Order: sequence, then C-alpha cells, then structure tokens
Amino acid sequence: MIDMLLSQVLDLMTPVLLAAMAGALCERAGVFNIALEGKMLVGAFVAVAASIVFGSPVLAVLAAVVCTAIFALPLALGGARFGGDPIVIGIGLNLLASGLTTYLLSALFGVTGTLVDPTVTALPRFGLVALAEIPVLGAILGGHSALVYLSWLLVVAIHVYLFRTRWGLRLRGIGEVPSAAAAMGANVSRYQTSVVVVAGGLCGLAGAVLALGSVALFAENMTAGRGWIAVVAVMLGRAHPFGIALACLGFGLADAVGLRLQGQGLPNQITDIAPYAITLLAMIGLGLRGAAKKMRNA
Amino acid sequence: MTAGSLDTKSRLAAILLSIAVAVVLGGCVVLSTGANPLSVYLEIVKGAFAGRGLAETLARCVPLVGMALAVAIALRAGLVNLGGDGQMLVGGLAAVLVALYLPVPGPARAALALIAAMGAGGLYAWIAAILQLGLAIPFLIASLLMSYIARGVTSYLVRYPLRDPATGMPETHRVLSSARLPNAILDLPISMGMVIMAVVAIAVIVNDRSGVNGFEWRITGLNPRFAQYSGTNLPRQTQRVAFLSGALAGLAGALLILGQQYRFTDGALLAPGYTWSGLMAAVLAMASPVATVVVSVFFAALQVGGFAMERTLGLPAVLTWVLQALIILCLAARPVLFRKRRT
Amino acid sequence: MTLLQMKGITKRFGSLVANDGVSLSVNGGEIHAVMGENGAGKSTLMNILYGLLKPDAGEILIDGKAMDFSSPLGAIAAGVGMVHQTFRQFPNLTVWENLVFHNEPGNGPFVSADAARDFVRHLGKKHGLEIDPDSRVRDLAVGIRQRLEILKALSRQARILVLDEPTAVLTPQERDSLFAAMRHLAAQGMALVLVTHKIPEVVAVTDRITVMRDGRLSGTLITRETSEAEIIRAMIGRNVPPTVAPKMTPTAEPMLAVRNLSVRKGDIAVVDNVSFDVRPGEIVGIAGVSGNGQPQLISAVTGLEAATGEVVVAGRDVSGLSIAQRRSAGISYVPEDRHLTGTAPAASIAENIVFGRHRGAAASKRGFLRKEAIRAQARRLIEQFRVKAASEQVPVGSLSGGNMQKVVIAREIEHGAPLIVIEEPTRGVDVGAIEFIHKTLIAERDKGRAILVVSSDLTELLALSDRILVMFEGRINAGLTGSDMNENTIGTWMMGGVQGT
Repeated sequence: MIDMLLSQVLDLMTPVLLAAMAGALCERAGVFNIALEGKMLVGAFVAVAASIVFGSPVLAVLAAVVCTAIFALPLALGGARFGGDPIVIGIGLNLLASGLTTYLLSALFGVTGTLVDPTVTALPRFGLVALAEIPVLGAILGGHSALVYLSWLLVVAIHVYLFRTRWGLRLRGIGEVPSAAAAMGANVSRYQTSVVVVAGGLCGLAGAVLALGSVALFAENMTAGRGWIAVVAVMLGRAHPFGIALACLGFGLADAVGLRLQGQGLPNQITDIAPYAITLLAMIGLGLRGAAKKMRNA
Repeated sequence: MTAGSLDTKSRLAAILLSIAVAVVLGGCVVLSTGANPLSVYLEIVKGAFAGRGLAETLARCVPLVGMALAVAIALRAGLVNLGGDGQMLVGGLAAVLVALYLPVPGPARAALALIAAMGAGGLYAWIAAILQLGLAIPFLIASLLMSYIARGVTSYLVRYPLRDPATGMPETHRVLSSARLPNAILDLPISMGMVIMAVVAIAVIVNDRSGVNGFEWRITGLNPRFAQYSGTNLPRQTQRVAFLSGALAGLAGALLILGQQYRFTDGALLAPGYTWSGLMAAVLAMASPVATVVVSVFFAALQVGGFAMERTLGLPAVLTWVLQALIILCLAARPVLFRKRRT
Repeated sequence: MTLLQMKGITKRFGSLVANDGVSLSVNGGEIHAVMGENGAGKSTLMNILYGLLKPDAGEILIDGKAMDFSSPLGAIAAGVGMVHQTFRQFPNLTVWENLVFHNEPGNGPFVSADAARDFVRHLGKKHGLEIDPDSRVRDLAVGIRQRLEILKALSRQARILVLDEPTAVLTPQERDSLFAAMRHLAAQGMALVLVTHKIPEVVAVTDRITVMRDGRLSGTLITRETSEAEIIRAMIGRNVPPTVAPKMTPTAEPMLAVRNLSVRKGDIAVVDNVSFDVRPGEIVGIAGVSGNGQPQLISAVTGLEAATGEVVVAGRDVSGLSIAQRRSAGISYVPEDRHLTGTAPAASIAENIVFGRHRGAAASKRGFLRKEAIRAQARRLIEQFRVKAASEQVPVGSLSGGNMQKVVIAREIEHGAPLIVIEEPTRGVDVGAIEFIHKTLIAERDKGRAILVVSSDLTELLALSDRILVMFEGRINAGLTGSDMNENTIGTWMMGGVQGT
C-alpha cells in the first residue's frame, strides 16, 4: 500500500521536478523565469504531436525538448540579452503557449479538449533489474519510465554542475552580482541566454513526461499550474537542487494522497487543491521562520 | 514593469508596431495550418462589428475592461496581480449567494450582491497583500496560488451544497429575475453592466489623472523609495490597492453572473480567460487607465470577431488569444528591435 | 624605475572638464598618493587608468610601453589592479570561489577546490594577507573583504595596484594593518596608488604625492620633504570658500533637539548615544569620514530608520512618529541620492515638487488635484531657483545634476518647514549651481530656519556652517566653532582626535 503510494509519488512529481530544475538554473543565472508553465505545456503538446507523426516515443521526447528550447528563445534573447522585462515576457509566453496549443490542437487534429490517439503510446516503463530484487524498495523504484530516473540523475548532475564545475561557479556569480562577474571577464549575457535555452529544453522534457508518462494524451492546459508549483519549489528550495527535489517530493506526496482520498470518495475538487494549498502553506511556514529570524536580529 | 518610461507618442508607435508584427506572425500560424490569413482577418473584422457583432463586443467589454482595470490599478502602484481568477470567482460566489438567499426585495438584492462581490474579491486580494507584507511571499505568487484554491473550493460548492438538482450541470439555482441586472435600459441596447463598468472606468481614469490617491499610487509605482521618503505609508497603500484591485475583479464576476449568466456555473466565469486577456491589455497599455480601456475594447472586438470567424471558417477562435500573446511578446521584446537599429 | 606613466590626460563630460592635461608617474616600489577634494578629478583619472573611461587626450605608459585599454580586462591583463570603494564581490560565495572566479584551477570542467584553497592560503601568506578560504564573503568584516579585493588583484599578477579611498570604511586597527600590507607590497617592487583626501594617511604611508584641484594637476610633492600645510595649500589653493557668510550664534530655543539617539545594526551601535541641538537661524554641519554613522543619524532624525532616544522638533517629541507625521511637525529633508530617493525621475518637475504636500489645501480640493495651481507653483520655483528646464512638465530625470538638485531643494524649502535636514547639498553639481545652493541655504538661515547639513566635502561645511559636529564611530566627539573650525582641527577629530590637540 505505502509502496504503491510512494511509487505514484515518483511518477507525479517528475514533471514538476524537471521544470523546477529548469527554474533553478535560471534563478541561479539571475533570470526570473515564470514561463515554466507555458513551456511545459508546449513540451506536452509537441511530445504528443510528434508521437503521432513519428510513432516513436524517443523521437517524441527529443522533439519536445528541441521545440520547447526554441520556444524559450524570446525569454533568452529578450529577457536575458536585451534587458526586456522577464515578467512581462514570461506572462506573454505562458499565454502564447496556452493559445497556440489549443489552436493547433483544433487546427491540426480537429480536436477540442483532449487528444487521444491509438498511435500515441506511453513511455515504456521498466524496472531496474538490480532493484527489483530488493523488497519494498524494488516496488517503489522499479517500473517507471526512463525519464523518471533521468530526472533524478539530472538533480545530481545539476548539483555537480553548479557547485563543482567552473561554469557552474561562473553562473552562480553571474546570477548574484552580474556587474562583478562581468568585471572579472565573464560573458554575462551569453551565459544567461544559453541557460534559458537549456532550461527550455528541460521544460520540454517535463511536458513530455506529463503527456507520455502515466497517460498518453494531450489535454488543453493540462499542466494545470504545475509550472507555477515548480516556480514556488525553486523558492522553497532556495535554488538548491536537493532542496528543490525535496519540495517537489512534498508536492508529489500531496498530489498522490489527494488522488488516494479521491478514491476513498472525497470530491476531486477538494483533493485537487491539495498541491496548491500545501505549496502555499510551505511558503507561509518559510515566511514565518524568516519573520521570526528578523525579529530576533532586530 | 516599466510603466511610464516612454512618452505617449513613442508608446503608441511601439504598440502599433507590436500589433503589426503580431498580425504578421499570427498570419504565419494560420498559413502553417493551411488556411488563408487574409480571409481569416477579414472575417474577424466583420464579425466584431457587423450585425450582432457590435452588441456582442460591447457585452464582452464589461468583464474585460473590469479585469484589465483591476490589473492596471495594481500595476500602476507596482503590484503584479495574477490572481484575478480567484478574486473573480470569490466575488461571483458572494454575489450569487446574496442574490439567491438574502431575504430582501429584488433590486436591493442586486445592489447588495454587487457590494458583497466587491468586498469578497477585495478581501481575497488583500490576504495576498498581507502575505507579501508580513511573510515576504511575492504578491504575484500568492495571488496566483490562491486562484487555484478558489477554483477548487467554488467548484466543490456548486457541485454539492449549492447545486441546483433540477439541471444536470454543476451549477447553482437561477437568480430571480427581479434580482438580475437589466439588459436594456430605456429600451436601448445598453445593459446595466455596461453602465456600471463605464462609471467605474471613468472613476479610475479621473482618479489616476486628478485624484490625490491616484497620484500617490502612480508616484509609488515610479519610485517607491521616493514615495516613502515623502511620507507615503507604503504597507497601508499596498493593502488598499490590492483590495481595490480584487474588488474590481469581484465586481466583474458579479456583473457577469447578475447580468449575463444568472447563475454560478462551474467553470463558466473562467472559461473565456478574462483575467489573462485583461492582464495582457493592462501590460500592453503600460497600466495607463485610458489606454487600458482602449486596448480592452480592442481585445473584446478581436475575441468576438474570432468567434464569428470560427463559425464561418471553422478555424478555432483561440487564434485571437494567440494574437494577443504575440502582441505582448513583441512589445516586451522591443529593446531587441531598438538595440539592433542603433548598432 | 618608472612603472606607470600617465601623460597629459584630458577628459570632458559635456561642458565639464573632469581632467585637464593631468600627468602622473609612479615608480616600482613606491606608494604614491593621489589627493584632492571631492570633484577634483581623482576618480576620473583612476577610471581612465583602469579602462573604464576613454581619455579624450593623453597616453598611458606601462613599463614604457603605450597602452590602449578598451575595458578593465585590458587593464588587468597589463597588470593594473584596482580596489574600488564598493567591492566587486559575490557575498554568497566563499572566499576561494570569489578569488578564482573566471580563473579556476582544476581539470577539464571541474574546479579543484583544494587547489583553490591552497592558492588562497599561499597567496595570503606571501603577502601577509591571510584569509580563511572557506568563509562566506557576506560573513566577513569590511577590512577582510578589502583584503580579499587586494588578493584578487594580486592573483591576476597586478604590478600596479590602485586603492580608491581604502580607509573610508576601516577601523583604525584595520587601517594600520592595511598600511602594513601596502608597505610589504611596495617592498616587493609593486607600484601602489593611494587615492584619498585624508592628509594624515598620506603622511603616514606614502613616498610621493600628486595633488589635483579642479581637474588639474596642482603639484607633485615628496612626502618626506613636505608639510601638512603645503599639502592643504595645494589641495585647496587660495581661491576657496567663495561664500563664507558671517557666522551666527543664535540663542533661541532649539528647533531640533536630539537626545541620546542610538541606531543598532546587529550588535553594533552605528549611531551611539548622540545628543545635539540645532537652533533657528543657524547652520550646523556634520563632518566625518564616511562610514561613521552619518546617514544612519539622519535617517533616525527623519524617521526612515528605527532608533532609540529622543528627537524633538519645535518642542514636540517626534520619536515615535511616522515620516509623514515628522514632516508635518516641521522637518524638510533633502536626501543624499536624488535619483534613488530624492525624486521620481520619470515624473514631471511639477509632480515631484508637489508630491508629499499634494493633500494640502494649496494642491488639492476635495480629493482632487488642483493641477493649474500645482503647475503655477512649479513655474514660480523654476524661475526663483533658476532651474534650466524646457517646462514644468518635463520629467525631472531629464535635467542635469545641478538642476535636479535645485528642484529637490526648492521643493523642500517651499514646504516651509522650520527645520531643513540636508545631505550632500552639492554632490555631483556644477560650480554655478553650488554657489547658488550655498547662497540659498544661507539666505534661509537668515530668515530664521534651522539647518542641519551633512557633507563629505570639508570646504563646503566650512563655508556653510556656523557650528561643526564631528562624527567618529557613531559618536559625536567634537563640537567646533569659531577659530576651531579649520581643516586641521576637524581632520584630527575625524580621525578620532587621538593625535595632537
């Protein structure tokens, strides 16, 4: 029972985790990225569309990554390089994503609402053989799609990138005091631009997991605020990959418990709130701690 | 958000240029799906004004102008309100509760319903302001997350405790006709909602141009440190502006319910995306109230034209949404255009 | 051996000539002071040396080779290091991360933290500037952060090190250890340039002195052979204080009475139990090395910052009151930074002038602005203060520094408060406007207003003040009047009053 739940948590949290990693990179680079929601939606749409066209899950995921990276270009160029307002651009991208996917869904596939197609297959799930032998843990960790495992590898990889490599060090400096970084020879706008594009690719991955992970379909606005939860997860985790992963785990848990309670007969309107309520409560908790600290210092 | 950083003339030029670029890009999207952009745009223009189009455009202006001004007054004072959905829902719910269950004569119910809606929407936004002031949770994030919560709670309420069992839909009972807002005043095609929204718009514009409060909010938006140093009580002002912004969103919700929908149906308030269209209008207008109203009317016409185009050509009306977003992006990417020209 | 030579450097900003044919030559192994008052052109000269500004004329030679820097990176590559007043550091990164930034040791993509730590320790030991490589920069004291800044320059093989007002933020102990480090570096053959306007420091640590005045070279002195008097003469010349008004000693009841005022930041009292009076009809100046609590004192008086103690304005205790309430009790305030605090640059002149009093009867009626009255008032003040502006409707941010400052001062005087608090009245203001502002302030004093001035420009304080209070480490340690109001005495008290007297 509990192992089933935890296994579900891993599935549910993956899109948010990937999007939050994208947000973390941007945050570290000093670009406030509130377009995660829209980029994820584009990724989900492209993944399903490409899946219909190519019939291959691998190509579908690749297409989602590439197209979403391209979709991130306005933020990369306008926001990071030319000093446009990242909040306005982020809002614009979110709305464009929502409009464009709905339009193309209808114009290309003649569908409103939800696109299900027999040629769209969910990402293959496989158990790691070594894990399957372990009791309980095997049931939790086994049987996910490759992207679930990849997302955790990415958490580690981004941690290593940020804190162990020279580029990560430069990125952190750029995000903190861009003028100082430039004074020491770092090319601030090149770093920011490329990071925003890479983050776009990660959001594409997040969208692909959302659309092809547990289900195999695209629905209008199917991200339903997950991109915003990713934004908050970056804040809660203070742009630290492991902290963010923990925040996402909490989100996944709230989501999974909500789904369970729904199975027990609680109306889904109430259980749907759970992730947002938990997220808001977590921010309130963090805020209270900050306020208390300030009081002590004063 | 750089409200007021451009003089009026170059701002207008920038907006017109953005619209032109967006129309071209939107045309490319249409082309990519195998349709003819020219006929699409022609149908949109015709649909917005010809025949019933004009009346529909005017009706759509009511919520859109309301939501756009809600964003604009906050933005003018430096607050980004992304929680219009939640404030609208809470306001709409308060309105429908008063209109259905308050034991007073019909017209008084309508009036009290509007007041309740403004109070509820305002309080909902005020909570987000308190979260920002007290706990340093950005207003933008808090107001947005609270929208999702309002969506779930109102959805639950109209599906279960408040549901009208007579219809198969998740919706409340119908508001009695005596508590509705009239659709035509003196037999003219002008609804009560239009009159109320016009009065609100004029009040916002006058306050922005000549009111001491509007002056204070605008200066705060331009430089909060200067405002504080000159004696403005910033926390109190943030709370007030947030309340008013939310109250306007709540009012927009109430006008839709009492004037057009007559009951609270799950999803009906949010489906047309008034909050986001309003947000786009206010951002495009750089929070100037007059420009916000003008852009909202333009967007309303665009959307109504889009529906007409969908009926005649069968292409999805959401294309107009794409156009709106493209206009914003073109405007926000303006520095790119300028920078390139200079070098 | 001449390591650095700057010849005939000229730099103009519009009509202002910031550097006019300035030459500077520094030898290896030498500590060379560049002196002058605020606005004398020191910073411009150093920014040219560091590649931040391009000179209009003149050349830079290092080791006899002509240099042409298009950016600081070029200057760094040529061996010029600069320690700015505001450090270019990443507070949330560690010392070693700051030090090796963009110059990281390690293999391939990975940074070797151990190699970086060893590098910090080794470099620190070599130059007597040890720092713990793993500390977060934000946790370090200012003196240590400055040490890091010097190490950063050294790690990039600097042979010429410029220190811009390095002691402004230091305690005496930190200052002494900085001087020791400077001597050590000079002994290793480096050329050090110390930019400062503090005479005792120059006497204590330098070998030669280049003095600048009004953008020109006014003398090159050898420290051993000169005297403080000679340095002062070179710095100030004899064309100074143009508007020394007769000094006043009014006896009326104080307009501002400050009692036991303290402001705490963490465990440190940045303003420490300060008491003083300002009477109607006098200008009281506050002098002090920057970083000794002057801005915090003013913020506490005007209500921008929380404080303990008493602030009494016109007989009324305003200690617990808000900024707005203090303003209506009788405080006008001209803040130090007119762009960040003193104005809303994008708003018009008229709007900037009326804001703060816009709820009063002169500017509004039943909640609506009286726009014509507001504009008329702005036009009158533009005329009266000789502000050069196309109209009262143009954004205040489009004005020059001097005209913008006039707008701020006009607004604060127009408010009619009996007490005017003013920080840096003429910073970044052209000469004509300086004279006008000084005359205006003295005229307001003669009308019976009480004026409190904070300035880092001693000449200005001497010209304006009837009384000068000197702040040192958060306390007022001297109140000077009459013949005690001279550079020497004030300078001594600014240093804590240890030497002499």
